[in-house]
Amino acid sequence: MNDQCPTTLHGEKAKPGKDQLAVLRRGLPITGSTGSTGSTFSTGGAGTVNGLPVWRSFDELADTAEFREHLEKEFPHGALELQRAVEAGGESRRDFLKIMGGSLALAGVAAIPGCRQPDHKILTYSKDVPEDIVIGKPLFYATSFARPDGGAEGLLVETHEGRPTKIEGNPLHPINNGKASTWAIASIMSLYDPDRLKFPTYDNPARGKVEATWDDFRGWAGKHLAAYDAKQGEGLGFIVGKASSPSLEAAKVAVMKKYPKATWAWYAPTEQSAATEGSKIAFGRPMRESLALNKQTVNIILSLDRDFLYHESEELSNSRGFAKSREVWTTEDSMCRLYVVESGFSLTGGQADHRLRAAPSRIAGFAVELAKYMLTKTGGPAEKGLAAAVAGVSVPAGDDFGGGAGRRFLEECAMDLMRPENRGKALVLAGHNQPPQVHALCYAINAALESIGKCQFFQPLTEAEAADSMRQLADMSAKASKGEISTLIVVNANPVYDAPGDIDFGAAWKKIGATVTLSVGQTETAAASTWSLNGAHYLESWGDTRASDGTISPVQPMIAPLYDPAGARAILNEVELLNLIAGGDMNAKADAYEIIRNNWKAPLGSNFESKWRHALHDGLLAGTARKPEAPAVAFDKVAAAVAAMSLAGVPTDKSLDVSFVVGHVHDGRYGNTAWLQELPEVATRTVWDNPVLMSPRTAEALNLLPVGFSQKNPSGMYTKPKYPEAQLAELTIGGRKVTIPAWILPGMADNTLLLTFGHGREVCGRVGDGVGVNVYPLRTAAIASGGGRQARGATLAKGTGEYQIISKQNNWSMEGRTSIVRAIDLPAWKEHGNAVQDVVDSFYGTTKKINFAERLGELSHNPPILSIYENPYNKSDSEPGPDSEYSKGQQWAMTIDQTLCTGCGACTIACQSENNIAVVGKKETGKGREMSWIRVDRYFTGDFDNPQNMLHQPIACVHCENAPCEVVCPVNATVHGPEGINYMTYNRCIGTRYCANNCPYKVRRYNFFEYGKLEFNGDYMGKDMIDKIGDVMPGQGVGPSGSSAHNKININFIPPRLREKIKQIEQMQKNPDVTVRMRGVMEKCSYCIQRINQARIETKLNGLPGIPDGFFQSACQQACPSDAIVFGDMRDDKSKVHATKANARSYALLGYLNTRPRTSHMVRIMNPNPALCDAARKHSWKEPFHHDGHDGHDGHDGHDGVAPHSSEGEAGSPPNAPKAHTFFDSHKHTQDTGYAMSLKVLGGRAGA
Amino acid sequence: MTTIHPDQLTAERLAGLSRGAGSPTPAPGTGDGTLIETPGVRPPLVLNNRSFKELTDIICGYVENPAPRWWFPIFAMAATIAGLAGALILYLVVTGIGTWGLNNQVDWAWDITNFVFWIGIGHAGTLISAILCLLKQKWRTAVNRSAEAMTIFAVICAATFPGIHVGRQWMAWMLFPIPNSNVIWPNFRSPLLWDVFAVSTYGTVSFLFWFMGMVPDFATLRDRADRRLRANPEGGAVLLPIVPIRIDRLRATIYGFLALGWRFSSRHWHRYEAAYLVLAGISTPLVLSVHSIVSFDFATSIMPGWHTTIFPPYFVAGAIFGGFAMVLLLLIPARELFPHMKDLITLRHIDNMAKILLATGMMVGFAYSMEFFIAWYSGNEYEVYAFKNRATGPYWWAYWTMITCNVVSPQLFWLRSMRTTPLVVFIVSIFVTIGMWFERFVIIVSSLHRSFLPAQWGMFHPTLIDIGIFVGSCGIFLTLFLLFLRFLPAFPIAEIKAVLPQASPHYGHENEPDGHGDVAAPAHGGHH
Repeated sequence: MNDQCPTTLHGEKAKPGKDQLAVLRRGLPITGSTGSTGSTFSTGGAGTVNGLPVWRSFDELADTAEFREHLEKEFPHGALELQRAVEAGGESRRDFLKIMGGSLALAGVAAIPGCRQPDHKILTYSKDVPEDIVIGKPLFYATSFARPDGGAEGLLVETHEGRPTKIEGNPLHPINNGKASTWAIASIMSLYDPDRLKFPTYDNPARGKVEATWDDFRGWAGKHLAAYDAKQGEGLGFIVGKASSPSLEAAKVAVMKKYPKATWAWYAPTEQSAATEGSKIAFGRPMRESLALNKQTVNIILSLDRDFLYHESEELSNSRGFAKSREVWTTEDSMCRLYVVESGFSLTGGQADHRLRAAPSRIAGFAVELAKYMLTKTGGPAEKGLAAAVAGVSVPAGDDFGGGAGRRFLEECAMDLMRPENRGKALVLAGHNQPPQVHALCYAINAALESIGKCQFFQPLTEAEAADSMRQLADMSAKASKGEISTLIVVNANPVYDAPGDIDFGAAWKKIGATVTLSVGQTETAAASTWSLNGAHYLESWGDTRASDGTISPVQPMIAPLYDPAGARAILNEVELLNLIAGGDMNAKADAYEIIRNNWKAPLGSNFESKWRHALHDGLLAGTARKPEAPAVAFDKVAAAVAAMSLAGVPTDKSLDVSFVVGHVHDGRYGNTAWLQELPEVATRTVWDNPVLMSPRTAEALNLLPVGFSQKNPSGMYTKPKYPEAQLAELTIGGRKVTIPAWILPGMADNTLLLTFGHGREVCGRVGDGVGVNVYPLRTAAIASGGGRQARGATLAKGTGEYQIISKQNNWSMEGRTSIVRAIDLPAWKEHGNAVQDVVDSFYGTTKKINFAERLGELSHNPPILSIYENPYNKSDSEPGPDSEYSKGQQWAMTIDQTLCTGCGACTIACQSENNIAVVGKKETGKGREMSWIRVDRYFTGDFDNPQNMLHQPIACVHCENAPCEVVCPVNATVHGPEGINYMTYNRCIGTRYCANNCPYKVRRYNFFEYGKLEFNGDYMGKDMIDKIGDVMPGQGVGPSGSSAHNKININFIPPRLREKIKQIEQMQKNPDVTVRMRGVMEKCSYCIQRINQARIETKLNGLPGIPDGFFQSACQQACPSDAIVFGDMRDDKSKVHATKANARSYALLGYLNTRPRTSHMVRIMNPNPALCDAARKHSWKEPFHHDGHDGHDGHDGHDGVAPHSSEGEAGSPPNAPKAHTFFDSHKHTQDTGYAMSLKVLGGRAGA
Repeated sequence: MTTIHPDQLTAERLAGLSRGAGSPTPAPGTGDGTLIETPGVRPPLVLNNRSFKELTDIICGYVENPAPRWWFPIFAMAATIAGLAGALILYLVVTGIGTWGLNNQVDWAWDITNFVFWIGIGHAGTLISAILCLLKQKWRTAVNRSAEAMTIFAVICAATFPGIHVGRQWMAWMLFPIPNSNVIWPNFRSPLLWDVFAVSTYGTVSFLFWFMGMVPDFATLRDRADRRLRANPEGGAVLLPIVPIRIDRLRATIYGFLALGWRFSSRHWHRYEAAYLVLAGISTPLVLSVHSIVSFDFATSIMPGWHTTIFPPYFVAGAIFGGFAMVLLLLIPARELFPHMKDLITLRHIDNMAKILLATGMMVGFAYSMEFFIAWYSGNEYEVYAFKNRATGPYWWAYWTMITCNVVSPQLFWLRSMRTTPLVVFIVSIFVTIGMWFERFVIIVSSLHRSFLPAQWGMFHPTLIDIGIFVGSCGIFLTLFLLFLRFLPAFPIAEIKAVLPQASPHYGHENEPDGHGDVAAPAHGGHH
């Protein structure tokens, strides 16, 4: 790559020292880091080596006057002079670093008079290799990422020869702890997005849109903004994307200082404002909650429509803490219990031990009823006062938490929360779609439960963090429509697209004279602006962030701006632009590096340089975390607020409730990130869309069931030759109407709709254009309705036409195959967890002991199928014998804990990034050709309307010791290694696909087209699909008739020369350690073989006998926020995977096939409240091994008759409602008859 | 005095074969060659009392006379379809396997279905040639040449599919054990590799068998052309008016080359008979092995619905079933369209083959039911589901099409009137061919699309490319067969002559009823 940027030559980056390099491995905490990174560059002038002059160019050697002058200008002598130069407004340090990178080329060329802009291309590392760089070895730099919903993440970025390729969590960062969210991991893709804005565009009144330069803008802005100086900024407006960044906040202060009368709006369309408002009620000041979850701190959690494990600013720490509180290793372990009351089926809902469906507007009523029930029984006078106030609030009748099963749920949950042993360890959490009063009430309940200060803490928020975006945008809009805003500067925000429907921002926008938009990617706002400026990506520029616990982290560039014309560093980021405006001189230097350093000088105090370097190295400013507070709740204020709340009745199919959620593309900003578009949504597994979701019953009532759907055969709609068809519906809320496809999701509250933000982008790029439907016009800015994330009184009418919804998973249930995701209740585990069973192999007559988890599956009654082949590595038929290859060296293995896995998909994205896995687009996904190496299977159990559980099972290649794929490959392309890994040799593979046919786990992925090059069928969506969407939804601007944007989708329309350029940019993201697979080749999980081999080389060089446990992590393991994935050497007694594999919860998926998978799954343990379990379920705790029923003729149990579903239902999780199982498990009724008969014939030997 | 068994007289009368007693040469028969199944009473294998010369003229006439008028349009159509196959295969290779309807759940569908289908078709040829030869079934002589040709062409069609179904067709050579510097050999444990060997062996031996049988006939064609050239040194048809190459010169050259210097000497005949017997012996196990090995593609896997020990015999029976259906499908129209072919392919042949259809149809029917029984009997929920899904799942229509065509439709053949009505046999053969295609489709697709993990269940839907390549392969097959009928001796002249009554040593000794001669070969006439 000769176009790589010179940024890697920056000596300023936190580069670990050589001794640290040895320990700095993926995901490992850097121990004993001193942060001592000396300046590795010379400061100009020729040095000496062994007394001889060192020169780099003939000019230098000749020491001409021109060269001297040039040298003085470009490379002032010494750091002090550099500093002086900066102060004098000269070349900044950043400039210096940049030019330094290009010095080889520059020094020789720049002296030639008349030479135009020098080409800043750098040479390959032929000579002056920067100190820390070893070609082929990645370097890891710390940086941070401002989360779009508040807070931040500390990241480590893997760079190869100056090219960032993968984003990982910073192990030192308190929020990340080595993990990273899907958004952070996928943000690398937005850096290399070929559709990024590449140059400023000026909407010339005379000539229309023209390509401009930053210098043009500076000239324009200098004149334009000067007019506001006298008016103190009156008429000037700023809409700035909310990001938790001290420097950005400082920039606001600076701007407002210069323009005191300007209007400023912090804006984030999907922020969690209701919680902030709730904290204002409860504590009198804006605060943000933080949870301290682990086994010691929390016993009971009640979530009221709160998806606290996903897509909110503290998802990583919450997931980690929740996992800690749920870990079960021995039968002595306890775990916390999760109750969820929710409208949709969220990721958190999938983890629930007990789940109640309730419409979003009814959840406030649930909270009130809960408070009524609890507070009278608990607490002191203040709580009693609240109780009294709450007692007066009447919850409209008509729902069953007045009396039915819901009431029982409420009471048992309340009793559980109030139990003395749970004092201070019980939490009630309010959802972000709930009004502030509900949040305040939950805080009050937590205070009454003495949990605040024990497992729930609060931190004060800054003005910017606490700002209510919606209100500020509404103010701005109002002013603009009155003509009071003449110039609007929009920074990293897209209000033209995502303004709420009750703010007519579009009309207001048109009244603004001049608009300036700074944006990294294409946005609707940028397209509509007078000036659209191409901003620098966070991986290209300096900045800082503040995490939700207050920790401040630096953002440091990994690469020079990709679309910087000739390295002129013209491109600015948000901090630079705002500071430039605040500075008054638009032609001045704007350098975030200096800005950040200046801002940090005060907090860092003395010895700045050392601390600065330390902070860059560690990726955080130590000691900046806010102290968690436990403020007192103002019960009277809460009481007053709750009493003033209006509670809704039960929604009907004429007046529906709506809840808005954030999906994978967040507020829409990740629309052009194909990884996220193709990451299936948690419950529906749909990709590339955001249909309106509703329960099957509601869809039936509204006549909106998907075409071909029947309750009897819910997967039947996927058997049509066409893609599954959703019906288009007209959704109306408050007079605002949107046409949207209707889809069903089991387990949703009836008469409730779920809408996902962020789709239906019109100006986004080739990936995101026209994907899904924009639902922002339906939302409001009202804080009372959960910050506009809830709506009532919606109507949904059948529209005309159908629409294709693509899902990565076409079947909803486990079809009664209970041994796939094995799940059991805690009491059964406690009683039977240590019990082993002897299984006699009827063929060999040998006896083998199987653990608890295996007893739940086929192996309890079915000996493993024998292979006709002798495994060359594994001579024995059961355990690896002492002479087998598998008993030597390091043997890699993985466990996936289904108790801890929440199904978030971070593993999928991390794997995609690490292993260069292609996206295939909606059409190809619909054909069942997704490429993800690790996928998350989702199953519902129980009734289709009200499923018992949502079970998640991540599956990648399980690396069978007796791999069925290896035997059948005719060309030896997939073979086994001595360390137990099933290798895939791409250049050997000819693509017979036989291996994939014979894989019982269906984890092999085939390149049906040239997916790696993005040129499959020319586009992502397929022309027929686009045309179809355009035909039926012209108003949505998604078809050729609606928007010209679609012309850009087809890559064939892009001239070949440019296409080549685009590919180069995309290729830069690819991990050079992993082959990009060509068409016609099979691929699959390799256990991150490249990481194993890197670790092997490292350890060999260091003379270690093997790779120590934890020396490296697989990409999925590294990303998993709940540490559900454990990978390592199973022969190492001290390794974690050795322990997890030996655990009684560990089982081999489909183990009876004798594939001997190296990846084992771990039984999911659930912790139901016995008081909410029926007799059948309780009975199953005594007899959890449902397969015992097979040898029932032995007479040792007869529970089949007592509890029919305990022999047919989920292992250990029989449903509360026995009848509910008929839907999913119908075929199980007769299947065992033949087996029983064969046992009789064989004399019962097989199951003995 | 001559006494003729009354049954024989009845039989002859029924067959329209009765002739005047004491006649030295039999009157031309007018029947169709079918008879009551009476031991010792067999209808003639060649009707109308053809003489040796007449037979030679008829058979060589197919090659030497101008093509019938119907031949050209049909050939043009078939060749166009074959060309379509070529174009689509080119498109497939250039674009990718994704142009088919396959996906990550169903990685094989029409490609391997077509492969197994064509390989199955190819079974009848060698069965007729080899096994019936060893069993001294004389009726085989009329159909064995065309059945063998059909085998070769079917193997060509079949071999196409494994070749193009791989993702990187240009690397398909890696399937062969070619010594290389990496010392990487193919995986000899893979049934797909066994397929390569099985099919190539089968193709080779079948070709040799076919070709060797044609050598004397090539010599006949050569000699006839040569004689015409000598008789008329100046005249004779030319290839094209502007290309003054005489066709007989071409024939003499090409057939002469193919005849490998055959001179009809007794020594040649002696060697020929021995070699023929040896090849028949070699081919016989191949008939059983090829489809057994093809069935291993499925049987050795672990997928429910594939992992079945019954597959080898079941596949062989199915292959014979499908192969005979195809023979009938080709020969019934051919005997209508070509002059005098009805004399050679009589209703007796059709009747015999219909009986084989009935028998093998019952075998596959038994196999279908045993699969269900064993699945149920195993108690393995995945097995049970796989078969239940076959019959009642999304592909139920394919399954029931298969049952209807393969099990139900041949039941007509319990009635002799059905067996001896060519139209009925033709229609049933179409059904059986469709049914046998669906059998492979059902086995492959319905097993794969819903395997162990319900999360990974999917569907297969064919694309136009899928369909086009299959139709195209039919075009290739038909094109080759039409060329065969036109340019190669479609019947083994010498062998047919050997089953003529005149060839019998007892020919003319009609007054010596020995009770074991063919009816049509009157047991009198002395030794010639």
